Amino acid sequence: METMQSMSSGKRPADKVGCLSPEELRKKVVSRAIRNIKRGHADDDSKRGMFRPEVRLDLQRSRLMTESYRETEGQPMVIRRAKALAHILTNMGIFIGDYERIVGYQTAEPNGIFHPIDQNWKSPRRLANSEEGKTLLDEEGRKELDKLCDYWKGKSISDRHQAALPPDLKKYWTYEGTFLWSQLSELGVPNYEKLFKAGLKGIVEEARQRMDELDREIPVDFKAQKDFLEAVVISLEAVIKFAKRYADLALSASAKEINPPRKTILEEIARTCEWVPENPPRTFIEAIQFFFFIHLVRYLEYSTLGIGVRVDHLFGPYYEKDLREGRINREEALGILQLLWIKLNELGLVYSPTVSSVYGGVASLQAVTIGGTDEEGRDVTNDLTYLVMEAAESLRLIEPSIALRIHDNTPDEVYSRAVDVIKTGIGYPSLFNDEALIPLYERWGVPHGEAKSYSVTGCVYIEIPGKNILRRSVGYPVLAKMLWWALHQGKDPKTGVQFGARTPDPATFKSWEDLLDAYCEQVKFFFTKIEQLERINNEILAEYLPRPFYSALLDGCIEKGKDCRKWVYPSMIHHFAQVIGGVNVADSITAVQKVVFDDKLVTLPELIEIMDRNWEGREDVRQACLSAPKYGNDDDYADRIAAEVMVRGEAAVEEVKDGFGLSHRSDGSAVSATYGLSGDTPATPDGRRDGEPFSDSTLAPAPGRDKKGPTAVLKSASKISTVDTFNHLLNQKFSPKFLTGELKPAFMGYLKTWKELSVPHIQFNVVDRETLVKAKKFPEQYSDLIVRVAGFSAYFVDLSPGLQDHIIARTEQRLV
Amino acid sequence: MTGDFGGRGRQGMSGSKSVEVKRGMIFYIQRFSVHDGPGIRTTVFMKGCPLRCWWCSNPESQSFSPQLIVRDVNCAGCGACVSACPKGAVTLAAHLGRRINRALCDDCLLCVDRCLYRSLDRCGTAVTVDEVMDNIERDLPFYRNSEGGVTVSGGEPLSQADFVEQLFVRCGKEGLHRVLDTSGYASGHDLERVARQADLILYDIKHLDPLIHRKATGVDNAVILENLEKAARINGALWLRVPLIEGFNDAEEHITRIAELGLEKGAEKISFLPYHEGGLSKSRQLGVDYPFKGIRAPGDERIAELAGIVEAMGLKVSIGV
Repeated sequence: METMQSMSSGKRPADKVGCLSPEELRKKVVSRAIRNIKRGHADDDSKRGMFRPEVRLDLQRSRLMTESYRETEGQPMVIRRAKALAHILTNMGIFIGDYERIVGYQTAEPNGIFHPIDQNWKSPRRLANSEEGKTLLDEEGRKELDKLCDYWKGKSISDRHQAALPPDLKKYWTYEGTFLWSQLSELGVPNYEKLFKAGLKGIVEEARQRMDELDREIPVDFKAQKDFLEAVVISLEAVIKFAKRYADLALSASAKEINPPRKTILEEIARTCEWVPENPPRTFIEAIQFFFFIHLVRYLEYSTLGIGVRVDHLFGPYYEKDLREGRINREEALGILQLLWIKLNELGLVYSPTVSSVYGGVASLQAVTIGGTDEEGRDVTNDLTYLVMEAAESLRLIEPSIALRIHDNTPDEVYSRAVDVIKTGIGYPSLFNDEALIPLYERWGVPHGEAKSYSVTGCVYIEIPGKNILRRSVGYPVLAKMLWWALHQGKDPKTGVQFGARTPDPATFKSWEDLLDAYCEQVKFFFTKIEQLERINNEILAEYLPRPFYSALLDGCIEKGKDCRKWVYPSMIHHFAQVIGGVNVADSITAVQKVVFDDKLVTLPELIEIMDRNWEGREDVRQACLSAPKYGNDDDYADRIAAEVMVRGEAAVEEVKDGFGLSHRSDGSAVSATYGLSGDTPATPDGRRDGEPFSDSTLAPAPGRDKKGPTAVLKSASKISTVDTFNHLLNQKFSPKFLTGELKPAFMGYLKTWKELSVPHIQFNVVDRETLVKAKKFPEQYSDLIVRVAGFSAYFVDLSPGLQDHIIARTEQRLV
Repeated sequence: MTGDFGGRGRQGMSGSKSVEVKRGMIFYIQRFSVHDGPGIRTTVFMKGCPLRCWWCSNPESQSFSPQLIVRDVNCAGCGACVSACPKGAVTLAAHLGRRINRALCDDCLLCVDRCLYRSLDRCGTAVTVDEVMDNIERDLPFYRNSEGGVTVSGGEPLSQADFVEQLFVRCGKEGLHRVLDTSGYASGHDLERVARQADLILYDIKHLDPLIHRKATGVDNAVILENLEKAARINGALWLRVPLIEGFNDAEEHITRIAELGLEKGAEKISFLPYHEGGLSKSRQLGVDYPFKGIRAPGDERIAELAGIVEAMGLKVSIGV
C-alpha cells in the first residue's frame, strides 16, 4: 500500500503525455515483414532481399542457447530448456529506447530479428549466405553462425524429424504442390488474468507447493513431474530477474538524465519493472508492461506467431481504476497503447525462402482481440475498446491487426468506429461473428462459457486464452490440387507415379457427387500423410522442446506436473491446417456438373484431357466452364454444391485423428498461400488456367467471378454452414467512398446483415484500384500503403509483383 | 396535356389481347444499390424512355426494345456470330477483327446465344413481377438493417406504369420501402397511380426553362412541372434530383429557383448528381451516337458553393446520392 501511495502522489499525468507524436512513433518502426521471394517452386522476386536492408539477424539468442546447451549435456531436457532460457534472459544485451515507457526487446539492436536455431539452423544459414539474405549478417556474423550451426547439426528439431522419417513418408515432407508442411508455426495464449492476480511469484509458489505435495505423494512419474516443476521455477525466476535488469538499467539511466520529464519516465520504468511481473500489476501501465514481458519471453522461449489477448477485456479494469483514482487520463492511456503497438511491431522471425511464398508481407502475425462477451454473455465493450481503435487509426501500422468480436448486443457505436478505422485502408479491424463461431467451438467440444471467452491470435487463428492449447498450424494443404489428383486417380499423368489415393476412374462418374466422393478420399489420404508427419514431429517436440515457461502460464500444467506438449485441453481446438483453393474446388465440381453432366458438352475424360493441355485449342470448353454458375453470386445451383463440397471436405479432414484422438481440421488463415502455392496446381475445371491464383480466402469467390455485388457474396457465404465446417476467412474489397458520409449508414447496415447471416468473418481492403496500380509503378511514393492480404495487413511495396497483381485483381465492390 | 409519353402504346408490351402476366421490359437489376434512395436497395432499371437527354448516363435505357451489346475486348474471333446472323450484319476479317454493321442489324440477338465469350450480349429482358420479386427478395435482411428497400428507375418507369404499379403493390405487401425515380414525363394519371404506391419519389428537375429543356431533353417541361405539383400532393416523401452540368443548369439564379420550387413543393432535400461519363462507353457498345462529348460537371468547389446556396435557403442537399 505504501508503494501505491507514493505512486499516486507522483506528478501525473500531464507531463508524460505525448512523448512522441504518432507520426514520430511510426518512424521508430523497422518493418520486419518478410518479402515473398518465392512462389511455390518458382522464383517470384528473388532479386530483392527477403527483408528490408536495415534488418539484421541477431545471434545472441542462438549464441547463449548454444552455450547453455553445451553446459547442460546429460541433464533432463525440461531442465536444460529452462536453464537455456534463464541463460539467455540473464545475459542477453538489453536497452531502453529514448522514447519508451514500455520496455523489452527480443534482440540486442532495434533492427534485429532472431531465428530459433534449436528448431532449424539450415534456413537461416542458407538465407544468410544467399543473395536474398546477405544483408542480414556481416562476414563475421556468418562465420559465427556457421560455428553455432555445427553444434546443432543432428540436434535441431528439424534434423531429428527428418532423420526419423521413413523414406515413403519423406517424399510427402518435400513440398511438391499438394501441401506445404511447415515446422514453424506455434500459437497459444497464456492465462493473463490468472497471472495478473498471482504475479509470477504466485505461480512459483504454486509450483513449489506442488513439489512439496509430490514429495509426500510419490506418484509413478514422480521424477518427471519434479523435473518439470523445477524447470517452471527456474524459468519464472529468470523472467522476474530479467525485468529487474530493466529496472536497474532505467535507474542508472535516470541518474544521468537531465531532461526532467524523461527522468520521471525512467523512474517510472524502474519502479514498474521492479514490481512486475513478479507481483500483480496495480495500474494500467504495470499491467501492460507485465503483459509485454510475458509476451516477449514467450517468443524467446519459442513461439512464432500471434498475441491473442483481449485487450479491452483484460486491461480495461486497470485503466478504469487509474481513471477513477486520477492516475491517468484518456489521452495518456492512448499514448501508452501507441507505445505498446510499436513494441508489438518489434517481433519478427526468419523463414525459409519457400515459406516466404506463403508468409509474404508477414512480420509475426500479431493480432489483438477486442469486443465480444464475457463468459456469461455480457458485452465487454469499454472505453479501451475505442482507444484501441484510435491507437490503430493514429499509427496505421501493419501490426497488430485487430480482431473485433461482433455479437447480437454489440453497440452501434462500435460498428461506427470500426467502419471509420476500416475506411483508412489499414485492413482492420477484421470482424468475427460470435453468433456463427461460438456454436462451432461448442461442436468442437469447448464448454459454453469458455467458448465465449475466445480470442484471435493472428489471421483467424482461434484460441481459448489460458487453456492448454499449444496450437500448431501443420501447414498448407492445397485443396484444388487434391481435386486434381481425384481427376487423375492419384496418379501423375506426366510421370505415371501414384502419389495420391487410387480413386475410381473419372470415366465411371455419373454426377458431381461421384467426383466429390473421390475428392474427399484424396483429402483424407493427404491429411493422413500430414498427420503422420505431424505425429512424429510432435513426439520429437515433446521430447526435445518442452516449454516449461509457457506451460506455467496455462491452466492445468502445474497441477498435472506435465509440460503442455504432453497433454491437451480436451477439445478440437488444437492443431489445424490452413487450407487453400477450396472455393476453386467447389466451382470446379459445379462446372463439371454443368458442362459434363447437364449440358453434355464434353465427357469428363475429354474435359480432363483438355484441362491437362491447359485448355490449349479448346478455349470454347474453358469459356463454357467459366460460364457455369459460380459461388459468390447468390446462385443456388453453385452455392448448393459449394456448401456440400465444403461440409463433406471438412468431414473428410476430421476423420483423420491425431495422437490425442483429436480430429484434424481446417482454418481460414491462408496468409498469402492462395497466391504463393497456386503456381503448382495445373488447370482446374472451374476454367482456371495452370498456375493462376486461387480464391483469396476460404469464403471469397474466385477472383473476378462474383458479378452480383457484395450482398450476393454474403448471401452465398451464408449458405456455407460454419458449424459444420470451420473458422473461415472472407476478404472483400471496397472503394473508400462506400464507407464515407451519407453512405456510411448503408455500410453499417451491410455489416449488421453480415452478422445476421451468420457469416463467421469478414475483412476489407478499402483502397481504389487506381491507387494500387500507381503504388506498383511508383513504390517509393507509396512506401506506407497498407493492404489486407489474407488475415493480416502488409505494406504493399513488400509484396512481389505477382502478389501485387493478385490483390489488384480482386473484385472491387464498386459504386454504380 | 395528352402528349406521347412512349411506353405501352409504342412498344405494345402487354400485347393486344389481355395477357395473364404483365411483363415489364428491364435492362438491369442492381443489387447493393446505395445511390438511389436511402440504405441498401435493389434498383430495377426499366428500359425505354421518352426523353433523350444530352447527358444520359444509361443510353441503353432509351430504347423500349432489346438491343445488342458489343464488347470487342472479349471477342476471341471465333466467328460463331458470323454464321448465326441471318442478315449478314457480322463480318470477320483478320486485319479488322469482328465488325457489326448496325444498319443491317435488327437486334434479333440470335448471335448472343452463340457467343461463348460474352462479347455479344443482350440488353433488355421482358420479365414478370414474380421474376423481379425473386431478385428483390434475396436481399431482404439488407433492406431491414439499413432502412433500404426497392427503387424503380430507368429509363422512365412511368412509361411502363401498369407493370411498375403492380410491382410496387407487391413490394408494399412485403412491407418494403419503395422509391420511384422519375423524370416526371408521363400522363398525370400514370404518375398519380404509381406515385401513390411509392414511399419516396426521386423527381428529376433538369431545367426550368421550357425551351432549354426541350432542346436538351427533346421534350417540354410543362407536363413535368404539372406532375410535380401532383406528386407533391401525394403523401410520400419527395426529393428533387438535379443532374449538374456545367454551363447548362448550374447558374446560381437557376439553382436558387429550383430550391424555391423544392421548398414550395415540400421536398425533403435536393440531390445534385454531377454529370459523369458513364454513358460514353456504353453508347459505344450499343453502336449509338453519343454526340455531346463536350459536356462536363461543374468543379467540386462550384458544387459545394451551390450546395451552400441551397442549404442557406433551409433545404438539405446531398451530392451524388
